[in-house]
Amino acid sequence: MYTYDSVDKTIVKERVAQFRDQVQRHLDGELTAADLQPLRLRNGLYMQIHAHMLRVSIPYGLINAEQMRKLAHIARKYDKGYGHFTTRQNIQYNWPELIDVPDILDELADVEMHAIQTSGNCIRNISSDQYAGVATDEIIDPRPYCEIIRQWSTLHPEFYWLPRKFKIAVTGATEDRAAVQFHDIGLEVVHNESAEIGFRVYVGGGLGRTPVIGKVIKEFLPRDDILSYCEAILRVYNLHGRRDNKYKARIKILVNAMGIESFRDEVESEWAHIKEGELKLHDVDFETMSAFFPSPAYEELSDGDERVNKWRQLDSRFKNWFDNNTVQHKQPGYRIVNISLKEHGVAPGDITDEQMDAVADIADKYSFGEIRSTHEQNLVLADVREQDLLDVWKALDTQRLATANIGSVNDMICCPGLDFCSLANASSISIAKQINDKFTDFNELYDIGEVKLKMSGCMNACGHHHVGHIGILGVDKKGVEWYQLTVGGDASNKAELGTRLGPAIAKEKVGDAVSDILHVYRDQREGEERLLDTFRRIGVEPFKERVYAEIN
Amino acid sequence: MASDKSIANRSKKVRPKATPSRIQENIASKQAIVDREIIENEIVHIAETQDLVAADLPNHQVSVPLNLWLDEKKQIKDRAGKVAVQLAVDEMPEDLVDDLAEIDIVVLPFVNHVDGQAYSHAYKLRTRFGFKGEIRAIGDVKFDQLSFLTRVGCNAFELPDTENLETALRAFNEFSDVYQPSADGANLIFSRRRALH
Repeated sequence: MYTYDSVDKTIVKERVAQFRDQVQRHLDGELTAADLQPLRLRNGLYMQIHAHMLRVSIPYGLINAEQMRKLAHIARKYDKGYGHFTTRQNIQYNWPELIDVPDILDELADVEMHAIQTSGNCIRNISSDQYAGVATDEIIDPRPYCEIIRQWSTLHPEFYWLPRKFKIAVTGATEDRAAVQFHDIGLEVVHNESAEIGFRVYVGGGLGRTPVIGKVIKEFLPRDDILSYCEAILRVYNLHGRRDNKYKARIKILVNAMGIESFRDEVESEWAHIKEGELKLHDVDFETMSAFFPSPAYEELSDGDERVNKWRQLDSRFKNWFDNNTVQHKQPGYRIVNISLKEHGVAPGDITDEQMDAVADIADKYSFGEIRSTHEQNLVLADVREQDLLDVWKALDTQRLATANIGSVNDMICCPGLDFCSLANASSISIAKQINDKFTDFNELYDIGEVKLKMSGCMNACGHHHVGHIGILGVDKKGVEWYQLTVGGDASNKAELGTRLGPAIAKEKVGDAVSDILHVYRDQREGEERLLDTFRRIGVEPFKERVYAEIN
Repeated sequence: MASDKSIANRSKKVRPKATPSRIQENIASKQAIVDREIIENEIVHIAETQDLVAADLPNHQVSVPLNLWLDEKKQIKDRAGKVAVQLAVDEMPEDLVDDLAEIDIVVLPFVNHVDGQAYSHAYKLRTRFGFKGEIRAIGDVKFDQLSFLTRVGCNAFELPDTENLETALRAFNEFSDVYQPSADGANLIFSRRRALH
């Protein structure tokens, strides 16, 4: 993975010193709370209902064991012994004290981490495919490009006070696991006919109050031009994006208002000025950066370990874990292991300090010391030998990290909701628990198969409910929590927004409604259809009838 | 006296929605930071009104709204002292392109520092239009904005009177390195690393 050179270290350390000075000036009465607010946000520090919340950046979801141990240490020393992995591959702490935050950032800097631009109206963490470098369907490893964009966008002086937040995602695989069509800029690394590497560029996608699927602004952008083209898009947005209404300030609103053709013309004419300038990248830049992301020293192995196969027959728990939580690897004899952070009764994405330490140890022993965080709020050990799977499973199971529910309805994405967030209208974590309680029989869960259930506690859509196969949105009706359901959303290449099922549902009925949707699916599915496929074939009506028949 | 012609631009153009209170109330800053030094300030920033004309300007150093400049360039140039023109966030630097050789100071008024449009204005004035004069940020501009405003091309600042300018000078030394080019001539990090290979 990328390691800091003296420039990176200097910038991150000076950034910590800057924030320490800002906090001190605030405590000395020289900097008002109002003036500190946007500054602390750009260091990941929010004020929530009960306390501050600190969001730490995990660029494109990649960290090493040492960094994971540091995250555990911070949870222990400065928080209540746990952290929360987010849908943008970052980690949040819910209880830090303002006075401690400069020290936390200093400790993070020691292991080449930071919280820069994890909040505020600026360019946020670059997100990517959690299986980058190991997926069987990968065309080009996106990580070197993510890191190049991360550096360019870090403390960019011109784009630090944008109309609204700005999110960039990069994918390099056939199956898009980074939801690039739902980002302000989405980049798909592709080859053109001459086998040159470049990007298909999407712009103006996003969820939030106004969900929009990104539009292709450029079919093929040579990779040398990636920074100048992003800069041109950002400049047009900074100059023309709306600032009078925060709900109309994202770039998707500008793109829709101008129309993609006019928006493209503006970007192209801006780009013409800067295209051949200092931002142009050279082949050697990519070679240098790619060298940070080599394939690890794999052994020559073949698929199908005998002991593992035997234990799959002997132990149904191990079999279920293998079938659900591990994924085929590009290298024979290796598997990708997903670590579920969706144990029954635990808030989705939460992990304790002890579990973090254990994951770090397991990664060191079995997966070249690297860990990834996923936008589905789980972790990944990307390079585990098949012959080690039984040991890895046991080690994870001891830590309650082997719940065999990846991809199932229990593996839901969920924002912190009303329990923590000052924006939320409704609770999400209690709904997650209600649904978990409905599906305690794992055989039923496996029979249902892949269901991406995504839940947000308010319209800001941090839980990506619009693109859930089942989406749940918490709304407030005269002080009472209600829930709006959608079916058929999809964040993959076939990007779709979910279809609204009908009127909002009372809190205690949400679990029943999800259960009804899945009953209709099981009654009507054909062959190997997933819920999403059945929905696409039969439409929303049968689901609607069943859910509201029960309620009425 | 305002002739019909002289207010033509003002009726045609979108006027700034808001200007900082400093301009509205004609309050002159006592001091400013110019090229990283604290100096006594001489400029009074004149607020735009429907019937403002150059003949009515007070008899000392002023900055004028863009529309007044566009209406009465000659009268403004003929005054003693420097030519200083305000460019509000909802105005475009393109309107000044042909006049930059005649302008000494472009004033960027910030009603609220979180509105960062003017950062792109400063960048374009310096890099695309080659403006060599002073670019002065005024209004809601404080310590913590100075470093990035400098990078995009501002070299002069008027801070609210409540701010300590000596303290604010520290802002210029917070970062000793950067990743990307802007109007400050910095190189892209990758081109610097390239040079090492």
